[in-house]
Amino acid sequence: SSLNLLCALQQVARRTITSSARRERNRVPEKQKLFQEDNGLPVHLKGGATDALLYRATMGLTVFGTGYVLYELWKASFPQKKD
Amino acid sequence: MAHQAHPYHMVDPSPWPLTGAVAALLMTSGLAIWFHFHSTILMLLGTVLLVLTICQWWRDVVREGTFQGHHTPPAQKGLRYGMILFITSEVLFFAGFFWAFYHSSLAPTPELGGFWPPAGITPLDPFEVPLLNTAVLLASGVTVTWAHHSIMEGDRKQAIHSLTLTILLGGYFTFLQALEYYEAPFTIADGVYGATFFVATGFHGLHVIIGSTFLAVCLHRQIRHHFTSTHHFGFEAAAWYWHFVDVVWLFLYISIYWWGS
Repeated sequence: SSLNLLCALQQVARRTITSSARRERNRVPEKQKLFQEDNGLPVHLKGGATDALLYRATMGLTVFGTGYVLYELWKASFPQKKD
Repeated sequence: MAHQAHPYHMVDPSPWPLTGAVAALLMTSGLAIWFHFHSTILMLLGTVLLVLTICQWWRDVVREGTFQGHHTPPAQKGLRYGMILFITSEVLFFAGFFWAFYHSSLAPTPELGGFWPPAGITPLDPFEVPLLNTAVLLASGVTVTWAHHSIMEGDRKQAIHSLTLTILLGGYFTFLQALEYYEAPFTIADGVYGATFFVATGFHGLHVIIGSTFLAVCLHRQIRHHFTSTHHFGFEAAAWYWHFVDVVWLFLYISIYWWGS
């Protein structure tokens, strides 16, 4: 009966995915127009404002992380004071 | 707009190689800091950065191929070579762990009792869950091939069904293997048996998760009409990787689970 439940669950999952999948209109031509627009933007920023936000967050973590790791490695290079 | 007189892909400048490199630096240094000073923040930061890099880099590859048309036949050939070379490097990675297993198991030392499995080890029965896992992965190899043929024949519904089934089978394998890990009567710390068992099967499990994720991305793209019947290399790459994962399991099953018991 747990096998039946698993089968049923599988069918529901598949039908849920495929019913919403069937409704999915082909939006690729719109994307092609957006990403081929002659605006000089590099591909990692060409999708819109969310791209810039994600980029800034990632680069922010990168810069902070580089500084932090150098600090931690500097600290680790010295004998640790044991209380 | 300037046009190129060659079919190759000259990519836009990208920040992701740098962010990926820093992520690797943070993860490795973070590992050392965790070992010595019990702090996990650096390692976590590195992992977050890695995930952000992976998502944005591969998002950009999809944009370049599907939306900008940069993946001409010669460019696609290069991508094929790249994926084949990467999988080959992974084969060599696993070869190391199989080497370690055979080194220890073909000539068991006196400390182990002079036999394999070593004294005190109760190996898992190869004809129980491990055999089921073998069937699950072999079935998933069939369903991924079904998905490929569906894509090539332009059958959208069947492609979505068979790809979904493949991912579910991958998830089922992971679930079963997690259960096995929990119930196993031996641990990674149980001598060379435990070490070779869990490192080899552990890395394999990680690759199942990676492969399932790759297939899930392909499912998402298939639903969004990214693949055509003649151009769907992302899916082919995922299918190659999945077959590789299946073959590694077959070697694991025969060597460690079956012969090794």
